[in-house]
Amino acid sequence: MRRSRVIEAWTYEPLERFVRESGARLTLVMTPAGQVLAQFGFARAVDVMAAAALGAAVFASSSEIARLLGNLEFSTLHHRGHRFGIFLGGCAVPRGRLLALVIYGEDSSVGLVQLFFDELVRGLQEAAPEQERSRPVLAADFERELNDSLASLFGR
Amino acid sequence: MSLVNFTTREITCKIVYYGPGRSGKTASLQYVYGRVPQDRRGRMVSLATETERTLFFDFLPLDLGSISGFTTRFHLYTVPGQLYYDSTRKLVLQGADGVVFVADSQVRQLDENIESLQGLQANLVAMGSDMRSMPMVFQYNKQDLPSELILTPTELDDALNFWALASHSSDALRGVGVFETLRAISERVLRKLSEEAPA
Amino acid sequence: MIAPLAEALDRMTRVGGVWGALLVAADDGLVIAEAVMEGIKPAAIAALAASLARQSGIASEAAGAGTPRFLHLQGAAGTLAVMSAGDGLLLVAVGSDEMNVGLARLEMLRAIEAAE
Repeated sequence: MRRSRVIEAWTYEPLERFVRESGARLTLVMTPAGQVLAQFGFARAVDVMAAAALGAAVFASSSEIARLLGNLEFSTLHHRGHRFGIFLGGCAVPRGRLLALVIYGEDSSVGLVQLFFDELVRGLQEAAPEQERSRPVLAADFERELNDSLASLFGR
Repeated sequence: MSLVNFTTREITCKIVYYGPGRSGKTASLQYVYGRVPQDRRGRMVSLATETERTLFFDFLPLDLGSISGFTTRFHLYTVPGQLYYDSTRKLVLQGADGVVFVADSQVRQLDENIESLQGLQANLVAMGSDMRSMPMVFQYNKQDLPSELILTPTELDDALNFWALASHSSDALRGVGVFETLRAISERVLRKLSEEAPA
Repeated sequence: MIAPLAEALDRMTRVGGVWGALLVAADDGLVIAEAVMEGIKPAAIAALAASLARQSGIASEAAGAGTPRFLHLQGAAGTLAVMSAGDGLLLVAVGSDEMNVGLARLEMLRAIEAAE
């Protein structure tokens, strides 16, 4: 049984509820820069990152068109295919803006996804913590590990 | 902006390869893609025109493994270099943690390099940043061409590198200097991350 | 076909107990036209009615009963009636638990006949 995988724990409950109610096949919750906070349904991490980058780019493009048209707010975007549909929606939580990329099949619909996306947004807004304080994250001598890692990446 | 998760101990950073058209941005990513083991990288996404010029961006996720106990991933992006793609360059630049400016070392491309650098500064300012605060390095590509056709790294520094940032010569098609540039920008990005003091 | 069906929604709302009538795109679950009282959420009803119609269709086919023509959901506090109008369209009526389902169904049939 597929389960949600989350990087930010507070996204788990809203995401699980959304997937259950909407019948979505795949779902990503991410920042506008394409960094993933939670996902459902993806089998491989590589597919998640590519989908996130593309979804963020599509949403950014639409937002830019909206801005050119005079700051109209496009909150959701929908592409309909033969067997699958793509839904992209944006929302604001205390920590900033988030995007959701949803892929749904013939057993769902854009109306259903939109309906439960609104609930997902409410759930994320309620669950989201305030902005974290910055903390130093790396040891002072991280360069050695970085160099070792890059060297191994490039086979040196 | 870097995504840092203290619970799962994961760091994700975004690095953008910027520069004029055909300077070697995509070639740099393609070299990285070709050299890095499959389990340490993701699929390379390239949104390009029929003539293989970058239309929107190239994207390559890298897994750097554990650094200071944090699983560290870098997302590498390129921007389209042609002049009329400035809107999409701005979009790709959003959320960047570091920039590699890939300059075309050819003498006849100097004006394009300058124009692209000015565009980068303008786009960074529009985002609330600038080249002094954004981790950045220069990659002077095509240094393999005949000397009469190119500017030396010193000449390129004089023309472009006003902030005395790190610069590296490169031949992206053969991978010369690509690794060194990536290491340099990675260090700067992670250094900045580790220096962010508690509020 | 859509215009006559949309016009029929007003007539459907005059049936006793009907709170609202909708014309819905079956595949998308989106509202095409609506005539609803205040407090009724047309987008939610459209999405859920379309989903119900789709799921019922699967069950009906599996049971050998063919494509469903009319769905009647009787709740403790209300009623939902869904009829396929062809061409990927659904007519939906939502009302009280005492809604006159028979009359609502008749109005739906008349609307579809008039639209053909």
